[in-house]
Amino acid sequence: MTSRSEIINLDQVDHGRCRSWPFFQDYCVTCALCAGSCPASGIDGFDPRMLVRMVSLGLVEELVEARWPWICTLCGKCENVCPMEIDIADLVRKIRSLRDREKVPGILYKGLAAALETGNNLRLPKEDFIFIIEDVAEEVAEEPGFEEFKAPVDKKGANLLTTIHNKLVNTHTEDLKHWWKIFHAAQEDWTVTSEHWEGTSWGYFTGDDAAMKVMAGRIVEQMEQLEIKNLLWPE
Amino acid sequence: MFDLLITYIKEGRIKLDRSKHTELAAYHDPCNYGRKAQKFFGHGFFEEPRWIMDQCMENWVDLYPNRMDQICCGGGGGALTTGYNEERVFYARKKIDQIKTTGAKMLVVPCHSCHGQFNNIKEEYGLGDLKIMYLWELVADCLIL
Repeated sequence: MTSRSEIINLDQVDHGRCRSWPFFQDYCVTCALCAGSCPASGIDGFDPRMLVRMVSLGLVEELVEARWPWICTLCGKCENVCPMEIDIADLVRKIRSLRDREKVPGILYKGLAAALETGNNLRLPKEDFIFIIEDVAEEVAEEPGFEEFKAPVDKKGANLLTTIHNKLVNTHTEDLKHWWKIFHAAQEDWTVTSEHWEGTSWGYFTGDDAAMKVMAGRIVEQMEQLEIKNLLWPE
Repeated sequence: MFDLLITYIKEGRIKLDRSKHTELAAYHDPCNYGRKAQKFFGHGFFEEPRWIMDQCMENWVDLYPNRMDQICCGGGGGALTTGYNEERVFYARKKIDQIKTTGAKMLVVPCHSCHGQFNNIKEEYGLGDLKIMYLWELVADCLIL
């Protein structure tokens, strides 16, 4: 997408096409406060005002194919300044959801597919996960003041269940230790689960609400099985 | 997450050393804990992390603008995983200006995406020495055992 004339195909204008979408896009007064506030404005010709107007005009295919919805970070700065309170970030996410799943950029779809199939984005087997947790827990226990430290896995009746961001059992295992040290100092009765520990939910990024529901549902299921009332889900 | 840390501190279950970090730090509001949480849940977590910052250290400042008017780091919404890396780095220029203006040596963030983004781009913007810390990492680091 390089120029406006390439973006807008006037033959396809259809004002009624997206009228049922619940984002108030037709209220746009074209003031461009969104465009002025957005750090991504201008990248690849991106302009949130133009995006909103294109939805109003029913020019959906162009937006679905564009990189725009993926360059936007869904940060919501645009809608925060929008005088008409248009839900621009949700609108962008809706456009993301219309992209063929195979054409979702980068590793987003692959990671999400892995999570849905195996429980985590890395396809990390249960045994390997437990090994990593135990290994890092031993490292913590070697530090002064944490001699008695243990990382309880699948502890029934614990007070608190915590999810884990997959990067913490991949390339950033050191960052597992911060919360663990706090739990130890606070004498928290906590646990992690050996399956479905994944804290990220990439359905949020790909516009896949059903996938988000599956990921959240698994966490709830684990809490019910282990009879745990409190959840720490910092991802 | 913030509420849990605040509970631990207020109930006296953890004690924190406020004198450990003396160099100037800055706090960054992640979109999802702040502006988006305000919109979706009617409560943005703005004051809670600042209260926790106060318990951990004295010498920290806010970026400007902040809270509802905060500027995104550029790593959110899956941007770290789309492969559009040049765009993602360029996106961060406004955020980096905010940080440079403060002169902070450390940036505290309570978000995995922000943490990943800042560590990924800081060299490119000449901030190689800027320490990026999770808020809970700061708390863990200030624990008095």
